[in-house]
Amino acid sequence: MFSVSDISVQIGDSSILNGISCEVLPGECVGVIGPNGSGKTTFFNAISGFVVHQRGTITLAGRDISALPPYSRAQHGIGRVFQNFGIFRDMTVLENLIIALEGRASLRKTLLPWSSANRAIREEAKAFAAQVKLDAKISSKAGTLSGGQMRLLEIVRTLAFGAEVLLLDEPTAGVSPKMKDEVANLIRYVQSQGKTVLIIEHDINFVQSFSSRVLVLDQGQVLLFDTPENVTRDPRLHEIYFGKSF
Amino acid sequence: MEYGIHLCILVCIYLILAQSFNITLGLGRLLNLAHVAGYAIGAYVTAIGTTTGDMGLFTAIIASSFTSGLLSLLLGGIALRLSDDYFAIGTLAFSSIVSALLINCKGVTNGVLGISGIPRPKIADFELLNNSSFLFLVFAITFVCLAIIYILFSGPFGRALRAQGENRSALLALGRDIRLMNTTAFFISSSFAGLAGSLYAYYINYVDPSSFSFSEMTLLLTIVIVGSPGSFWGCIGSTIFLVCIPEPLRFLDIPSYLVGPMRQLLQSVILVLVVWLNRNRLFSLTREV
Repeated sequence: MFSVSDISVQIGDSSILNGISCEVLPGECVGVIGPNGSGKTTFFNAISGFVVHQRGTITLAGRDISALPPYSRAQHGIGRVFQNFGIFRDMTVLENLIIALEGRASLRKTLLPWSSANRAIREEAKAFAAQVKLDAKISSKAGTLSGGQMRLLEIVRTLAFGAEVLLLDEPTAGVSPKMKDEVANLIRYVQSQGKTVLIIEHDINFVQSFSSRVLVLDQGQVLLFDTPENVTRDPRLHEIYFGKSF
Repeated sequence: MEYGIHLCILVCIYLILAQSFNITLGLGRLLNLAHVAGYAIGAYVTAIGTTTGDMGLFTAIIASSFTSGLLSLLLGGIALRLSDDYFAIGTLAFSSIVSALLINCKGVTNGVLGISGIPRPKIADFELLNNSSFLFLVFAITFVCLAIIYILFSGPFGRALRAQGENRSALLALGRDIRLMNTTAFFISSSFAGLAGSLYAYYINYVDPSSFSFSEMTLLLTIVIVGSPGSFWGCIGSTIFLVCIPEPLRFLDIPSYLVGPMRQLLQSVILVLVVWLNRNRLFSLTREV
């Protein structure tokens, strides 16, 4: 199980997150929503270690990972998909996947380019590319892909690295409606593998389609944490987006 | 013939030096302006070890590489905490400190007079006195060094180093300890520079601080930029080109005191031209997410 308890982030005099807590089960998908500036991305940054949190604990499979640096949290299973595409655009699709697979392989075995371990990694990378229908583009630079393809590559690369908890920051931003379905299918596949998914998304219908619960943040605090049906019915949700008079 | 051998030896030494600089600048996008300091340290370790002691060829090469590598860890420990421009300034400061030490620690380095009388190396009982036999040694060492660097370039380490040059956050999210990786790159790069310095000292038989001035750094920067940063084969081509291209100046009817400055001028003009022509594609855009 993945849990966050009483996470607080302060930058200068501003309190960005204040006492955020939640528990998410393996295979569960939780949508994270809230107006701009509510602290959604900072919440993800605090979980993945890119922002230092002053208070609270983050636990994954019973282990406290709060004090670990970002790379170490990733090694423990925290996978991050960034809002502004975290792929290596000047590398090929295949290299993007190989680099993830090499991250969990022994350096001693992969040091020589012609080693059998490297050949196995290459084959595995091709299989991951085929999973998101990028097998025809493995030799293309990742920067030449469409927004949707880049997103699929980034998610499948996180899977290839072996993430157990996926933090998806607006995975449908800059993605065409057709590719949106592909991204949704991939997220469903990730869930079916027993992995935990937290997803920041503005499109509430998209979140509802596979989230069992929705976490609503407002001004760095948890406003609601309930089923999508209950959250959409709650007047406080409308209030933070449209104001009291709406 | 003798002049051709001289050029080949210089090309071999510069191949090791430039290709090692290509590891940090070309792959990792770390502008280490103290790379020549590593080269100087290697040369001085060999010079001191062979003139004051009885250091053999392989001991001298290993000691030179290791000392340069170790000092780069000291530099890396401080400079790698800085980012981008500040990192370059930090390494430049380190380079200046090394230059100042070479000039002022007269008891060890003999100051501006330098150290002369460095003997040519011996393998078993065979002394490599003439340049052609020395060329065989330098060629063999260069071949081994380039093979190791090529494996680094095309393997997981080189790939991760290239990736961090483009997007550090994304690589951190893939579980890579970037500081450790950069420190390792620094160590490897400086060790090879130290090795090149050792070969240089053996070849020229004399070292002094002026041999490791900032103009050497400019030449290395020019070689890596002209060869396209991060390109293994490009760096080999540009090293051969840039080490050999100023040589015809020797045969022109110009005063000998102008040959050195003209060579530097030519290399600088080439650097400016290449940077200008490739201004939008020399390095991939650094992205942060």
